[in-house]
Amino acid sequence: MATTVLDAPPNMAALFAKAALTARGRGGDLPETRLARTGVAVDPAEVAAYARVCRFPFADTLPATYPHMLTFPLQMALMSDRSFPLALPGLVHVRNTVDLLRPIGLGEQLDLEVWAERFARHRSGATVDLCASVSADGAEVWRSRSTYLARGAKAPEGAPEADVDVEVGELPPGTITWRIPDDAGRRYAKVSGDVNPIHLSGLTAKAFGFKRAIAHGMWVKARVLAAVENRLPEAFTVDVAFRKPLFLPSTVTLATVERDGGWDAAVRNAKTGTDHLLATIRPL
Amino acid sequence: MATTRQAAIVGGNRIPFARSNSRYAQASNQDMLTATLDGLVARFGLQGQQVGEVVAGAVLKHARDFNLTRESVLGSKLDPSTPAYDVQQACGTGLEAAILVANKIALGQIESGIAGGVDTTSDAPLAVGEDLRRILISLNSAKTLQERLKAIAKIRPGMIAPEIPRNAEPRTGLAMGEHAQLTAHEWEIGREEQDELTVRSHQNMAAAYDRGFFDDLVTPFLGLSRDQNLRPDSSLEKLAKLKPVFGKALPEGAEATMTAGNSTPLTDGASAVLLASDEWAAEHNLPVLAHLVDAQTAAVDYVHRGEGLLMAPVYAVPRMLARNGLTLQDFDFYEIHEAFASTVLATMKAWEDPAYCKEKLGLDAPLGAIDRSKLNVYGSSLAAGHPFAATGGRIVASLAKTLHEAGPGKRGLISICAAGGQGVVAILES
Repeated sequence: MATTVLDAPPNMAALFAKAALTARGRGGDLPETRLARTGVAVDPAEVAAYARVCRFPFADTLPATYPHMLTFPLQMALMSDRSFPLALPGLVHVRNTVDLLRPIGLGEQLDLEVWAERFARHRSGATVDLCASVSADGAEVWRSRSTYLARGAKAPEGAPEADVDVEVGELPPGTITWRIPDDAGRRYAKVSGDVNPIHLSGLTAKAFGFKRAIAHGMWVKARVLAAVENRLPEAFTVDVAFRKPLFLPSTVTLATVERDGGWDAAVRNAKTGTDHLLATIRPL
Repeated sequence: MATTRQAAIVGGNRIPFARSNSRYAQASNQDMLTATLDGLVARFGLQGQQVGEVVAGAVLKHARDFNLTRESVLGSKLDPSTPAYDVQQACGTGLEAAILVANKIALGQIESGIAGGVDTTSDAPLAVGEDLRRILISLNSAKTLQERLKAIAKIRPGMIAPEIPRNAEPRTGLAMGEHAQLTAHEWEIGREEQDELTVRSHQNMAAAYDRGFFDDLVTPFLGLSRDQNLRPDSSLEKLAKLKPVFGKALPEGAEATMTAGNSTPLTDGASAVLLASDEWAAEHNLPVLAHLVDAQTAAVDYVHRGEGLLMAPVYAVPRMLARNGLTLQDFDFYEIHEAFASTVLATMKAWEDPAYCKEKLGLDAPLGAIDRSKLNVYGSSLAAGHPFAATGGRIVASLAKTLHEAGPGKRGLISICAAGGQGVVAILES
C-alpha cells in the first residue's frame, strides 16, 4: 500500500475532464494507493459560503458534512486516475455514511486520507466504496464512506455482495417543504467544487443520460443534517441512501422522527412521494 | 396575582465584539445570536431545557429576520418549546430586553428568561431605493404583460444603487456622531478629557481581561477571544494624533474634538443574559449575581427643542432615583455607555450643572458629581466596541458580576443612550 501526500487540493474541473477522456478501457482491481494531505486549514469564508448554501449556521465548529469538501477532491483524484477500474462518468452515488467523532473546530489543522475499498457485486453492476479519514492531533475525528454504483460493471471474482440499503422506521408525513430551484446544482458546485456536469444544467445533464439536472446527493444530505443540527449529540453517525434522483427544479418534503437517541429522516418528492433520500442519524 | 419580586441576574455570555467587515463578516445576526445563546446554555447547563421567554433584538435587521429571536431559539440547544420575541429600541435594545424579562419575572409570569441582543454592520441589510421599491411592488401586482412592461419601463439606471443603512437620524439627516459633536461643543467638552476617558476605558478593559474577569462572561467565536477593538497600549499620545471625524454641523470656528479613537467604531457581536426568580436559580443550583431593582426610560426632543440627541439618560436617571429614594452618589459602580467619550462627559457635566438641573430636569439642586473611580471600572464601549443591540447585555452581565464580586448590598447604575433621542437606565443591586 502506497500513500501519496499532495501539497494542495487537486483541480476538480481538470479531474472531471481527465476522467471523461480516459473513461474507456478501464478494468482490473481497485488500486491500493492512498492519497493524503496534512496540516490542512479550512478557510472560514469557504465554510461560511458552504453553510449558507446548505442552511447550516456559521459557527465555531464545522458542519458535520464539511470535511467531505476537503476529502472529495482527493477521492476524485483517485477515481480519475487510470489505475481506477471504473469509469467516473456514469458512477452513481448510492450511499454515504459520515461519522463525526467529535465537533471539529474551525481553526483546527486537519490530516486527510482517502482510499478505495470493497469492490462489490450489485444486481445491476458493481459498487465501490470511497473512504476518507480525517484526523486532528493524531486522532481520528471524522470518517466517511461513499458507495458508488457502476451500472453494467463487473466486480472481480469472489467479490462480496453490495450493501447499499439504509433502513428507516415509520415516518410521519413531511411538513418541512423545500422548493429547490433549478440553480441548486450550480450553487452547490460553486462551494463544493463538484462540477459534475449532471448537476449543472439540463443540457449538460442530458449529455450524460439524465432528462434534467439533478441535485447533488451530498447537498441534500447536508440540508437534512442542517435541519436537525442543533439537536444532535456531539458524536454521531449519519447514514443515507440516495434513492431516486432529485431532478431540478423540484419541491420536496423532509420527514423527521426522533429515534434511538437520533433521527430517522426521508426526503421525498412533494407530489409523487418518491423517496429521494433515506437517512438514519445515531449517536456514537 | 402575586406581589412583585425582584428578578435575579444569574449570569451572562457574549461573543467577543469584532470590528466591522472583519472576523465576523460572514456571520449573520442569527448565527451570532444562536452561538451566544448556545454559549449561555452551555455555561448554565440549560441543554434541552425550556426557559420562560427569550427576548432579544437587533437594530440593523434584514426583512427575513422578522422573527430573529425565535428562529435563533429554534436553532439553539434550548428546548424548541421556549417562546421568544424581538424588541428594538436602538442602542437601548439589550437593556430594554433585560427590563422586559425582569418585569415578567417580577410579576410571576415567568420564572426564568434570557435577554439578548445582536448586531452586525458587516452583514447589513441593503434595501433598494424608494423609487425602485415602489416600481417592484407595482410589478409584482401587475396582472398583464403590458402592465409589467409598463412598470419595468419606469426603472432608471440610477435607481439600481442600494440604500445602505446609515448611522444617521432620519429627522435631522445628521449622523449620530455629528449630533454628539454638537453636544460636546455645547457642554464645552474638550479633546483631551475625551481622550483621557478613552485611554482609561481601554486600560480598564485590558486589565479586566488579564485578570480573567471576562472568563465566564465571554465565549470565543470565529477565532476571536477578546474584543478586537481593544487596545491595551492605547495612550494619550497616540489618540492625540487622530484627526477629528465629525464637526460638519458645528458653528464657524468651533473646534471639532471627536475622533475615531474617542468614538465607538462600528462593531459586530452579540450578548445574552440569564435572568430568573431567586427560587428558580436555587432549584437549578445557579448563583444570583445581582437583582434588577428598577428601570426607567426617557426621551428628548432633539429635533425642535435643541436638546442633545444622546441626553435622554440625563432625564431618566433623576426620575428613577426619586422613585427609589436614592441620590446619584448612592452607587458603588456606574456604567455609562460610551457611545462617544464626549457623551459620558456631557452626561456627568449636565448632572453637575445647577441651572440645567433646575431648568431642564426640574430639580431643586443638581444631582452632583460622581466618583470617577467608580465609573466603567472594567471598560466600556470605547474599548469593547458597540454592536448596538448587544451593548445592554454586555453591561448588565458585567455589572452584575462586578457587584457580586464586591459583596452583598452593592449598588450599580446603568445609563444607555439611544438613537431617536432616547435613554434607558436601570439599577442593579447585589
